[in-house]
Amino acid sequence: MNILGDIIVLLVNGLQQGAIYVLLAIGLSIILGTLRFVNFAHGALYVIGAYAGLLIAQEISVSNGKLADWGYQTIGLDLGFLPALVFVPVFVFVVGLAMERYVARPFYDRPDTDQILVTFGLAIVVQEALHALVGGRSYKLVIPPEALGVIPLSGPTDIPFTAVSLGLWRLWVIVITAILVLAVYAIVEYTDFGLVVKAGTRDPEMVRLLGIKITRPYIVMFGIGAALAGVAGVVGAPLSNINPEIGMSILVPAFLTVVIGGVGSIRGAVLGGTLIGMVQVALISLGSVSLLGITVNWTPWAQVGIYVLAVVVLLTRPQGLLGEEEVAA
Amino acid sequence: MSSDDKSVSRRSVLKQAGATGALGLAGLAGCSGDGGGNGDDEYPALGNYPIEGDTATFGFNVPLSGPYSSEGEDELRAYELAVKHLNNGGGWVDNWDDLSGDGVLDYEIDYVEGDTATDASTADESASRMIQRDDVIMFAGGSSSAVAIAQQGVAQRENVMFTCCLTHSNDTTGQDCVRYSFREMFNAYMTGQALTPVVTEEYGDDLSFYQLYADYSWGKTVEESIRKFFGEAGWEEVNSVATPLDTSDFSSYLSEAQSSGADVLFLNHYGLDGANSLNQAIDAGIDEDMEIVMPLYNRPMAEAASSAINGIYGTIAWDSQIDNEPSNSFTEFFGEEYDGRVPSGPAQLAYSGTLQYAAAVERAGTFYPPEVIRQLEGFEYDNIGMGEETMRACDHQAQRAIPVVRGLPESEQGDGQFFEIVDITSRDDVGYGCDEGPASQCELGEYGDE
Repeated sequence: MNILGDIIVLLVNGLQQGAIYVLLAIGLSIILGTLRFVNFAHGALYVIGAYAGLLIAQEISVSNGKLADWGYQTIGLDLGFLPALVFVPVFVFVVGLAMERYVARPFYDRPDTDQILVTFGLAIVVQEALHALVGGRSYKLVIPPEALGVIPLSGPTDIPFTAVSLGLWRLWVIVITAILVLAVYAIVEYTDFGLVVKAGTRDPEMVRLLGIKITRPYIVMFGIGAALAGVAGVVGAPLSNINPEIGMSILVPAFLTVVIGGVGSIRGAVLGGTLIGMVQVALISLGSVSLLGITVNWTPWAQVGIYVLAVVVLLTRPQGLLGEEEVAA
Repeated sequence: MSSDDKSVSRRSVLKQAGATGALGLAGLAGCSGDGGGNGDDEYPALGNYPIEGDTATFGFNVPLSGPYSSEGEDELRAYELAVKHLNNGGGWVDNWDDLSGDGVLDYEIDYVEGDTATDASTADESASRMIQRDDVIMFAGGSSSAVAIAQQGVAQRENVMFTCCLTHSNDTTGQDCVRYSFREMFNAYMTGQALTPVVTEEYGDDLSFYQLYADYSWGKTVEESIRKFFGEAGWEEVNSVATPLDTSDFSSYLSEAQSSGADVLFLNHYGLDGANSLNQAIDAGIDEDMEIVMPLYNRPMAEAASSAINGIYGTIAWDSQIDNEPSNSFTEFFGEEYDGRVPSGPAQLAYSGTLQYAAAVERAGTFYPPEVIRQLEGFEYDNIGMGEETMRACDHQAQRAIPVVRGLPESEQGDGQFFEIVDITSRDDVGYGCDEGPASQCELGEYGDE
């Protein structure tokens, strides 16, 4: 029972750490899987989602940046969290469509390096534009009052992997992530639209020969991926503060999630995100462990651990844990 | 204001010595300078001395991007204000006997700005560019101790003076101290000394504590200092865990701290990291099981953490609530310049540091760095709002009072006020001898005129 209890606590902690990575990774993964497009601006969509959520949910005071220079002291609609959660995906979906049309599409047939350069550049433009407008200060998106609270996680305190309590919002992040993941999974697996997307991923030429226009489903997939990143920004913002730089720091774990889970696989993104979260939590929780007279403190290895995980996966299963092997072109 | 008679007499001796030695030295150096008199042809070329033309340029190297950027923006406001007052009078310049309000030694002051991006190597490059391309005679800035220490290295190597803004690591004036840099800000060691009596009195003796610390120079020295001083006060450390700089999710670290059974949690994080770790600790309900202490607070962190700072103890560089003439006037003229904005602690450090340097130049009668350094070493002053202070000669660390504060509830925050001042710990109750603590590891290096 103790072992089972530990596994549950580890899983919950791993899931709450990995949930945001999962939301971002699904978008990255489907864009990479369907469109073969490497989108380094995905983190920028996360930032746009976070700021859009902040401005819909709250009224914030601006003390730095151009908006303050132009005389705006407070900005924001102050509508509350739920409207933010509803409107942000729609808004970022539209931003995603615009990004697809004007940034991604001209680069579909260009090498990966060109795609990386242009999207990385776009990410910097978004970051610096936000910096110029609202300044570098950090904002906190307040947790909705219904989700305030603490859940005690019971478990023996004398052994590793034991959390004592968890903010209620973190459980909500897991729930929202789960609902969205299931929705996207259902769209891709059980609708005609999803069938076209999946077929197009396998063999675009054959799908075109069958008389199906695959451009539109692809654009919609880009939009859905963007919208998920936007949602990730809204639900992730109450966990850590919002500033223009957060998009860059979340991009790398999101890409690692895709690498570990497998490109184009929704189930892979979920598995990858959860595994990354669990490896981090496990190493931090282990602390110092003595084995054969050698004491190793595992906590500092938490960051290294996720890269080791990626290396091991790449060496043993280059297509990712649930990725499918490339169909020969 | 007070001044150092010993330094003044040394200056006149050196001026005479310089006058007699200048003829020989000028030929050797091949550059006697054309800086419009003011004694600037008395010394050999060194670093960016002598200044060419009639404008002296300062370099302000602050974080305009990265986790400490909003603090950098406030520092820059204060630097710009300092330059304005040095050139045109106003602010503290009007009350400082050493300063004229008509430039410094008849040189008009100009400045260039740089972005350290809160990164040591970027700061190093930016400082080097200022020195080599812009010919700055002095550069200044913060935040982040790793960044300040990197710039101190550049200052000593290039013989161009650096004025520290916000840097709190023991190493800045300890093992990494240099002759060409001075620090007004107190350090982690002194924070430990100031916090211990206040916090142990509030929470009790014989408690156990757990530390999370930012894994770089600053975080490590705070961690060591907390262990030392709270350990000496009878508290027992359960564990101390490093967290990588720029961590955004501390939840796993925090739940480990919570399950440790310790009574008190020290969050040795600064800036955005501090706001995140504190917010997440409160969100997870840790404050219901443990007392939390943030050894070093700052404004952006308090803004971002908002309600989470309620009742939490820490130290700050300076606060506008400190009630004395220099503090009040600084708050007033800063607000007049910037639409009623209340200055932050780093802004006070930036403004005072720039004026201290300029006053030292005036007292030395030259921008020649070794003479300016000698003016600052051992200088006593009480004109920057923190009571009587000494810029100690042995390690270039200001010996000063330290404000200990407690975070206000969100309903009482606003208008730049986030803390209640609990105690201004006198400089007599903090500090350490030149042969103890961080100072025992300090070797300042050469003046450059030996």
